Amino acid sequence: MEEILAALERPPLLRRRDFLKLSIAALVPAFAAACRRGPKAREINFFNWSNYIGKRTLPEFEKRTGIRVNYEMFSDEDEMFAKLRTGVHGYDLMVSDDYQVPKLRALGLITPIPEGAVTGLANLEKRFLDPPFDPGLRFTVPYLWGTTGLGFNKKHVSRPSSWRVLWDEKYRGKMTVLDNVRDGIGCALLALGLPTDTDKPEHLAQAKELLVRQRPLIKHYTSATYVDELVSAEAWISQGWSGDVMLAVRENPDIDYAIPDEGSFLYVSSLVLPAGSEHREEALAFMNYSLLPEVAAEVSNTVGFATPNEKARKFLEPALLKDTRVFPDPKTSARLRFYGTLAPETEELWARTWQEVKVS
Amino acid sequence: MRSPFDRSMSWLIRGRRQAASQLLLLPTSVWLALFLMVPLALLLAVSFLKRGAYGALLWQPTLANYHRTFSPSYLPILGRTFAFASATTLACLLLGYPFAYFLSQFVRGRRARDFMLVVLMLPFWTSFLVQIYSWMIILGREGLINNALLGLGLVAEPIQFLNTRGSLLLGLTYSYLPFMILPLYSSLSKLPRSYIEASKDLGAGNLQTFLKVTLPLSLPGVMGGTILTFIPCMGDFLTAEFLGGPKTYLVGNLIQNQFYQAADYPFGSALSAVLLVLLFAGLMAYRWVENLGATSLGRAKG
Repeated sequence: MEEILAALERPPLLRRRDFLKLSIAALVPAFAAACRRGPKAREINFFNWSNYIGKRTLPEFEKRTGIRVNYEMFSDEDEMFAKLRTGVHGYDLMVSDDYQVPKLRALGLITPIPEGAVTGLANLEKRFLDPPFDPGLRFTVPYLWGTTGLGFNKKHVSRPSSWRVLWDEKYRGKMTVLDNVRDGIGCALLALGLPTDTDKPEHLAQAKELLVRQRPLIKHYTSATYVDELVSAEAWISQGWSGDVMLAVRENPDIDYAIPDEGSFLYVSSLVLPAGSEHREEALAFMNYSLLPEVAAEVSNTVGFATPNEKARKFLEPALLKDTRVFPDPKTSARLRFYGTLAPETEELWARTWQEVKVS
Repeated sequence: MRSPFDRSMSWLIRGRRQAASQLLLLPTSVWLALFLMVPLALLLAVSFLKRGAYGALLWQPTLANYHRTFSPSYLPILGRTFAFASATTLACLLLGYPFAYFLSQFVRGRRARDFMLVVLMLPFWTSFLVQIYSWMIILGREGLINNALLGLGLVAEPIQFLNTRGSLLLGLTYSYLPFMILPLYSSLSKLPRSYIEASKDLGAGNLQTFLKVTLPLSLPGVMGGTILTFIPCMGDFLTAEFLGGPKTYLVGNLIQNQFYQAADYPFGSALSAVLLVLLFAGLMAYRWVENLGATSLGRAKG
């Protein structure tokens, strides 16, 4: 009994990709926001990942600019995308993951940033200035970044050097894999040494074959519960996102994070402007504000994901900046890559492949 | 004195039975038309469309989504879901019947009955996620059961309960048990005590009375409970998402994935349509059998 109480009292692990698909109810606030907007009100309706902002970020912004922020969170990028596509309007500012950006663009769900409206991009690290998902940063302002890797329990597993560990019979039933098309198939392609943005059906067939063999070995596919599972040693190895695994590291010192030798993905979450917004200027004001070094550092310090803002580094907590699990060392960095953009037909092929793995 | 409401109602109904009943049905009919029939028609329409770039809908009629639904990769999912829903319904029936029987036949006093019914419903006043996470705490490798087993020295290694077929079945049974018990209870509590007494007067034992009187008269409750359990079970995806494993991917998960992850509305709609048609056909078959039974019973009496 005590254990139940203790577990319930433990503050729920807030996490970025917290799976609360029940939050269909979240449509209601969006609707309310849409009704609420007055003609002259200085406000923005901001749609962000859960647990993805600094403690002081919003109050400070409101104080400085007098713009009110109606803050709303999502916990699953597919949910966010589905919401936008089914025509939920009323958002003025959003955070989107890089591989969603071409989709959002193609469907006309986001609008370009007016030329010269955003200053402070020079504060960013060079590699984020011209990313493949948005050359020249015409639609996005990089906000935070992270990597895909393996969270593991040091008590039971030695530091994995290859993605192949996810096929190791020894850990049968004690591994979880992200329920995400790009990471799920991506790790198989990395293990096979194939290009991770491939459009070749034979590459995907090879990946599928490998993944079908993996399926009976893993505990389940999850992008949501693995932090808890790592903490409670329910899972010993979890494919996961750096910031999330770091939450587990803070809870349980036996947990560590590794990026396998085959390399891995680096992803950027960016601020974007949803189409149909009526508070463009206020949203741009927030974009500019987010690029201030102190502000960017405070966000990164709070949530444990890395900031793309180079000038923000001197405001980061030294322990965070030194942590190679958050800011990988140059050798590991060289092995990181963007997901890369898939053509629409290729994207469908990937989605189908992943479905077929899951139902196999 | 009759209230103005009573008077107006009796004016409404007197001599105008049909018109009045139609008027009274109007709000419900409008509601059903707007929020059930229209969405269903849309769902059906979308299921014949093509998925375009990044999940856009293309107005090109096709049967491909149905072909895919019945293809060898996806068809087994329907069978698996059917198996889980049937097993859950059976487990609910086996657990729920004794409970409802006990409550209706042996618990005297309204208060005690109400109390037990409230206790039964209590978990459903908490969030579904809290319920699921509680199961995770109980079933986990370092959870209550495993710790107890390890502590007693009954096992050397924790047993993997979570994310197996067993944990999914447990979770589903837990979720849907009240939907089985309530109709059973309502049907059993309506059973006239005099029937049972008559049966015993005529020399039947307890078992015989149960089999020949109680059980047949409670069958409507059994059917009601079965329908209320089985149908939502066929569409469940959240329980499977949290308590299921890689081998328990259900049709509900598949449909949910089409609307979120894969952004394939046409395929998701086709799957939903097939599921609906199957469930509807099942219900119709049940009614047909029921009517058949009723007619043959009537004939036997006549």
